[in-house]
Amino acid sequence: MKRYGLALTMLAILCSTTMAQNLKAGQVRPDDWQAYKSRFIDERGRVIDDANGNISHSEGQGYGLLLSYLANNKADFDLIWSFTRTEFLLRDDGLAVWKWDPNSKPHVTDSNNASDGDILIAYALALAGSGWNRNDLAATARTMVGAIGKANVIEQQGRLLLLPAVTGFSERDREDGPLVNLSYWIFEAFPKFASVDNTTDWTRLSKDGLSLIEAARGGQRSLPADWLSAKTTLRPAKGFKPEFGYNALRIPLYMMRAGIADAGQLRPLRQGMSPDGTGVAIVDIPSGSVTETLHDPGYLIIPALIDCVLDKKKLPASVTSFRPTLYYPSTLHLLSLSFIYSQHSECL
Amino acid sequence: MKKSLLIVPVIAVFAGVVAVQSDYVPAFATVINSGSLAMPGSSEPEADTGIDDQYDVAQSGRAPKTRTTTPASPAPDAAVAPKVDETALRYFARQGDKRRLEAEIARLRALYPGWTPPADPSAVAPETDTALDAMWKLYAAGKLPELRKAIQLRLTSEPQWKPPADLMDRVELAESREQLINASDLKQYETVIRIGSSHSSLLTCSDVDLLWRVAEAFARTNRTSRAKDAYGYILDNCPKPEERLATVQKALPLLTRPDLEALLAKEKTTQDGAREFDTIRNDLARKAVADAGTDPKLIVPPTDLERVEKLANDIVEPSDPLILGWYYLRHDDHANAEKWFKLSHERENAPSSSQGMALAMIAQSRPAEAEQTIYEWRDSSDGAKAVYMAAVANLLAQDPPVDIAPAVLQRMVPEVVEAKDANAAQQFGWYAFLLNQFETAAGWFSTALQWKPDDEPSSYGLVLAREQLGDMAGVAEIQRLWSGKSERIGRLGELRQARERGLVPSPERFGTRDPDALLPATQPTDGPAAAATPPQTDPAVAANSLADRVAATIARTSVTRPEELQSQTAPLQTAPAPSRVRPSRQMKASGQRLPAGCTTTLDPQTISPESALNRGWCLMDINRPLEAAAAFERGLLSRSDAARSDAAYGQSLAYLRVGLADKAAVAASKARQQQSRQIELDIALLSSRATDAFTAGRYNEALLALDQRARIAPERNDLMVLRGYAYMNLNRLADAQRVFEAVAATGSKDGLRGMATVRAIRNKEY
Repeated sequence: MKRYGLALTMLAILCSTTMAQNLKAGQVRPDDWQAYKSRFIDERGRVIDDANGNISHSEGQGYGLLLSYLANNKADFDLIWSFTRTEFLLRDDGLAVWKWDPNSKPHVTDSNNASDGDILIAYALALAGSGWNRNDLAATARTMVGAIGKANVIEQQGRLLLLPAVTGFSERDREDGPLVNLSYWIFEAFPKFASVDNTTDWTRLSKDGLSLIEAARGGQRSLPADWLSAKTTLRPAKGFKPEFGYNALRIPLYMMRAGIADAGQLRPLRQGMSPDGTGVAIVDIPSGSVTETLHDPGYLIIPALIDCVLDKKKLPASVTSFRPTLYYPSTLHLLSLSFIYSQHSECL
Repeated sequence: MKKSLLIVPVIAVFAGVVAVQSDYVPAFATVINSGSLAMPGSSEPEADTGIDDQYDVAQSGRAPKTRTTTPASPAPDAAVAPKVDETALRYFARQGDKRRLEAEIARLRALYPGWTPPADPSAVAPETDTALDAMWKLYAAGKLPELRKAIQLRLTSEPQWKPPADLMDRVELAESREQLINASDLKQYETVIRIGSSHSSLLTCSDVDLLWRVAEAFARTNRTSRAKDAYGYILDNCPKPEERLATVQKALPLLTRPDLEALLAKEKTTQDGAREFDTIRNDLARKAVADAGTDPKLIVPPTDLERVEKLANDIVEPSDPLILGWYYLRHDDHANAEKWFKLSHERENAPSSSQGMALAMIAQSRPAEAEQTIYEWRDSSDGAKAVYMAAVANLLAQDPPVDIAPAVLQRMVPEVVEAKDANAAQQFGWYAFLLNQFETAAGWFSTALQWKPDDEPSSYGLVLAREQLGDMAGVAEIQRLWSGKSERIGRLGELRQARERGLVPSPERFGTRDPDALLPATQPTDGPAAAATPPQTDPAVAANSLADRVAATIARTSVTRPEELQSQTAPLQTAPAPSRVRPSRQMKASGQRLPAGCTTTLDPQTISPESALNRGWCLMDINRPLEAAAAFERGLLSRSDAARSDAAYGQSLAYLRVGLADKAAVAASKARQQQSRQIELDIALLSSRATDAFTAGRYNEALLALDQRARIAPERNDLMVLRGYAYMNLNRLADAQRVFEAVAATGSKDGLRGMATVRAIRNKEY
């Protein structure tokens, strides 16, 4: 059974390679993009996390770039990129600093990176570089991809791991290190990365990530925790809540966007995060108890997507129209809708 | 137009080549440069200021600026009239942005030598491209993301439109400039160097700040020769005096002295003959002296020292003398250190100069002045508090002990309690001990032990104080605790037997032996740091009770009442009977009350020698020998031989009682003594010397003193025991055995104990 699942996974990765490379601009609707950017992106191209003290981070800039590419809006892409390049792409190793705070001076006080932010930025640059024939963007993407692999991908116990950041999570930095965050595996980016960089085995990183997700599922609800120690067998990391939280809930979205439609992986996640489909649960893994139930359509659309992909169920009307709420769920919402529009319009 | 023509490689600041804005000065630009002439066609200075302000704001924030690199190349044939893109020129002219207009004209002239700038660029307004104008406006305001967006929007709406290459180059350069500055602020020096190397046209005299940042990045990544080249490039090429000066200042903390000297060699002499980097040479000398003030191993060139000393004298500021003070303090020239600290202090009473001065005073054995100096700053820093505590400890531990004004004592007490300074508490203990305030002494020693439980000297003080108080259970308890860990505590009983009655230990012998322990280490640059972290403040209750107790004790014994002063100075005091011997014993034996005439403190210099003599004996009676010694000193001035002899005798006894045998010997020789007294003193002195030498572990000396004493007086049992232990310590076990046997024969338990010890040692050995 397990082998079979693995075989399916491999097949899915092969599929996703073609799919990702075909990812075309124009999958986010102009009106939705307009609504999103007028709410979360300022006139300087800064993507604002309005639930987090209006800070910005490399993840947000990466989402902004990706969504503007998907909206086929070159002007907004250049706007966000100009800000991202001058304010975030500062690190000696070629990666982005992770946090920009409007209320501190200088705005960047911590030079650490966040590998998901780097992946999103590099991925969006690579898409725009090839999709819009922009050599400058493609060149920067290549440099960044190389830097991500060099600084954040490590081999440990025969598998490739993605460190959440250069500093603070490795075996050297923590007693229970290395730590991983499985929602930092943005699967759709890896085939693209593999096409521009061969110093890191991105295909293997992707495959090992899927195995980790499977192995990480635990507790009554069979869900993975946001932050995991990969020192021995995967277990919730010390100092973090042992919960399936805001991070991990995007894992199935990233899988599906990458064309991974493995029921063996997706169905447990679907069941665990939203048994009845009316809310998305933040779950304390050890006890299986629900600490919070989320109702923002940006979250609710994720289990609905799984239903669509696995069972061809139509999306409930409550999640098919986009209205900006907060930065994070609204971002997930647009990523979900763009996936539906391009791959599963039958569920609309 | 080939790009290679435009690039002039000048210096290898980078791995690549840095292109330089060469110093061509077109006549036109010169005109604009040379004065505040309005540019041709522009006639409204008011409007200019507005624009300039706006420009300046942008500059300080994120305004981009670039100069395209240009050679002073000869003109190619001017016959071919090139198509010159004048949009930027016209935009800047219309905006009245003179600086940018000037730069643009210079740039275009260099690019197109045959080109003549329009006579009135602002007036010539062919077909106006308002959208492009708006883009230049965004550029001028440093709104680069907005500019990028505007360009893309127009490309989308007007697919046939081509953005001017100049505009695209400029926005890219400006973004790189932003990125470089942000990376530099975040100490991402590799990024700084990467961007600088790939955008050499950013690195020109018109934007020296970027050159500084790149130079710093080199220096911070151990590429100092590159850093030196970058700074040197500025000095070779950039003319603005304030930027040149700032360049060397920025290099100052990053480069070695020889590299800095190489930069200084690029100095220009100004029109009035001054050398432009003279202030830097001063700073270099200051830095050399200041560095040596933290690291005594550093050697300062004499020229630097002379320069700083001259500056310190010439410029009435506190900082230069302060640097010198720390320098001399660190190099153990305490007198000079004090001199310079004092000069700084005179110019500004500040914590650092006060600390330095206090340290210099302590080092010169003037702790009272040190206490006085640092007191007001004691709370200004941990370092100041440490210096204050050192002054207190040294003041209390002075040898010979000195009188400390009651007010000073009273203010020291709460400071010690608050700082929980175990060493100072211990010194308070010894001080009280010497004043025979044994209860207070015990209190201080206990307090010191609370703060530093394993402190042997404090335990020793406590055991002695308890012994004096007759608390034998308390003595035994401490001896048990220190059993096997402190010989002198363990053997206290034996020593007591061997000691003449009335002798007490001095802090010099029993307190902290290491004189350095009383001096805090100094870290002069930031003001002296604490030698040891000062303890945290105690809960107020405990502090108060102890402070109150000590303060009360001190107050009780040292307040001078005016009427007493009166009576002491009254001339009708009876002269002391010269034959008087040990009056205290007589009085105590007869059960008389102690005389009340000397319980208060007063300066013996204020009373007659005769009164002082009386007072001396009185003080001896109430067992305050230190004060008595001072009173006898005054008594030595008496005109009567008998009185002088009496005073010398009294002072000698007083010193003997506090255990200062050497001082006692000196005192005894200050006046002729009756033979009987001379012998008595000699015996006492030799006894004291023997016990002192024994206590200090100098056993041969102890034996010598005992032998001398034995010639003039029979050896008492206690001294025989001392002799036995001295032999034992010298491993003369047979001699020790013989002596202990003799003592034991008199029925002394000490003798038996000594025999047993010798036997134990022998058993162990054989």
